[in-house]
Amino acid sequence: MSSAAKAGLLIGAIAIAVVAFLVARPADDDGDRRAAQITPSEPQDQGSDQAEPSAPPPPATTRIRIRDGAVVGGAPDIKVDKGETVRIVISADAADELHLHGYDITREAEADRPARFRFEADLEGAFEIESHTAEDAGKDPLVARLLVGPS
Amino acid sequence: MSLIAHGLVGRSDLPIPEWLFGWGAAMVLVVSFVALALLWPQPKLQREHWRALPGGLGRALASRAVELICGALGVFLLGMVIWSGLRGTQSPTANFAPTFIYVIFWLGLVAVSVLFGDVFRAFNPWRAVGWACAWLARTVSRAELPKPLDYPRQLGNWPAVAGIFAFAVMELVVSDGDEPHNLAVATMVYSAATFIAMALYGVEAWIERGEAFSVYFNLFSRLSPFETRDHVVGLRRPLSGLAALKPVAGTVALLAVVIGSVTFDGAAEGPLWTGIAPDIVNFFDDLGLSTQRAFEVTFLVGLTATILLIHGFYRLGTIGARSVGGGFSALQLARAFVHTLVPIALAYVAAHYFTLLLFQGQAFWALISDPLGNGSDLFGTADRQVDYAVIGANATWYWQVGFVVGGHVLALTLAHDRALALYEDTKLAVRSQYWMLAVMVGFTSLALWLLSQANG
Repeated sequence: MSSAAKAGLLIGAIAIAVVAFLVARPADDDGDRRAAQITPSEPQDQGSDQAEPSAPPPPATTRIRIRDGAVVGGAPDIKVDKGETVRIVISADAADELHLHGYDITREAEADRPARFRFEADLEGAFEIESHTAEDAGKDPLVARLLVGPS
Repeated sequence: MSLIAHGLVGRSDLPIPEWLFGWGAAMVLVVSFVALALLWPQPKLQREHWRALPGGLGRALASRAVELICGALGVFLLGMVIWSGLRGTQSPTANFAPTFIYVIFWLGLVAVSVLFGDVFRAFNPWRAVGWACAWLARTVSRAELPKPLDYPRQLGNWPAVAGIFAFAVMELVVSDGDEPHNLAVATMVYSAATFIAMALYGVEAWIERGEAFSVYFNLFSRLSPFETRDHVVGLRRPLSGLAALKPVAGTVALLAVVIGSVTFDGAAEGPLWTGIAPDIVNFFDDLGLSTQRAFEVTFLVGLTATILLIHGFYRLGTIGARSVGGGFSALQLARAFVHTLVPIALAYVAAHYFTLLLFQGQAFWALISDPLGNGSDLFGTADRQVDYAVIGANATWYWQVGFVVGGHVLALTLAHDRALALYEDTKLAVRSQYWMLAVMVGFTSLALWLLSQANG
């Protein structure tokens, strides 16, 4: 192969790579795609013990129950996009201390008073919520995983 | 069991999106075929063309004084790890030892080695102590020391294989492997074993082949253009350092351990492993082990099996390459191409751990000021926080896929060059290439698949 042909092949391959990347990459989704995603994802927010009259649309609330030191139904993944407001309510049948890594938020739960998290998801990545009570007891401390995708 | 469970990982990576997985896989194939067409017809990397850095800089950088300072710093840090592990708080994140060992040392030195060459050699605390002891003994006895034993040829890199495997077990299997006290004890045991081996076989012989971390970081340093020869730092042709690697007994196994342990760490949080692990745990539970022991044995089985699979896959490729002819045994081929696994190992390590280094590496500043976790502030940096916003999810994904595809390209280039040098017949060289190409596409696809797994 001549060096001109080689150069042509190389340039062609790079062009294919770039075009394929641009075509495959989803378009910047701060438009209608995201709006469509948010709306159907919060059906179970009807237990409104803390009604928030302002702030439309209301952020989805994830409810987690801990019974006998284990998460009922297994630790869920909570998926949000960056910038959304995250609401997590964790009720436990015994006193517990819950810690969200990365964001470094700690909340206490009592048997009759659930732990409430409410914050803006401003860090992208995967973060774990752990129960310090389960950790101290040598059990699996994972309560939930928060997955914050790019907006 | 992994570091994630130990709290050293504050923020972990999201799985790469499907479209990027597809793009990365397609790129691997495009790159492979373009490389086959484009790469040079004559071997180019088999000589290093080493040249000293100009203006006496090379000599100054590797001078006795610099080496002395680096060695002293290495010994100081080794002491810090043991001291803080034994005396400090036993909370893994608040103690200096776990973050230093698992992040700064284990991951940070890989990055430093790739960029600047075999820097660890200068900082190696065991080497520094070894030489200091030899010097002291010579001065006191006023005589030459007895000659060390000959390093057994069949021992090769096997002590390093054992060392790196033990480190992986500590990191991924032992459930209290993050406890500062355990880390301090493990460090002391390893130091003692290293000093005994050095006394038997000589400091440099052991550093070169047996000392696990020297061998490990030296492998990655061969990707760097910098190399020190006879106390002079110089530049060599890119990648030629890897071509100059002299494989010995155990070198192939060492790379299988490196790639296999990263693979297991990635897969251990994915659905494949979490699906079968409980059954294995139950099996060992029924044999009468405690739950914690059953978990540890299960993870040990998983880690070992993954390493053996990786090793077997590579050996399968070399058996295939043997079938094209040329009169080489499969073992000869396995050793002849083992250096091509180094960029693949780097791609695995970098793609999986670079964000951990980026995030938890920042904790170094707070921990060096408060190594025991008792509220001290030695350097005024104790309240530095980790900034988890230094890189976004998109950028992380692009870097990860970039590491994997880049590692593939480097491995391919090295294999091509070695095949040309090895086979006199160019046709055989090209045909043997298809087998090595299949091996690399396999490793690279596995790396991409691991990145696309929902890891914890």
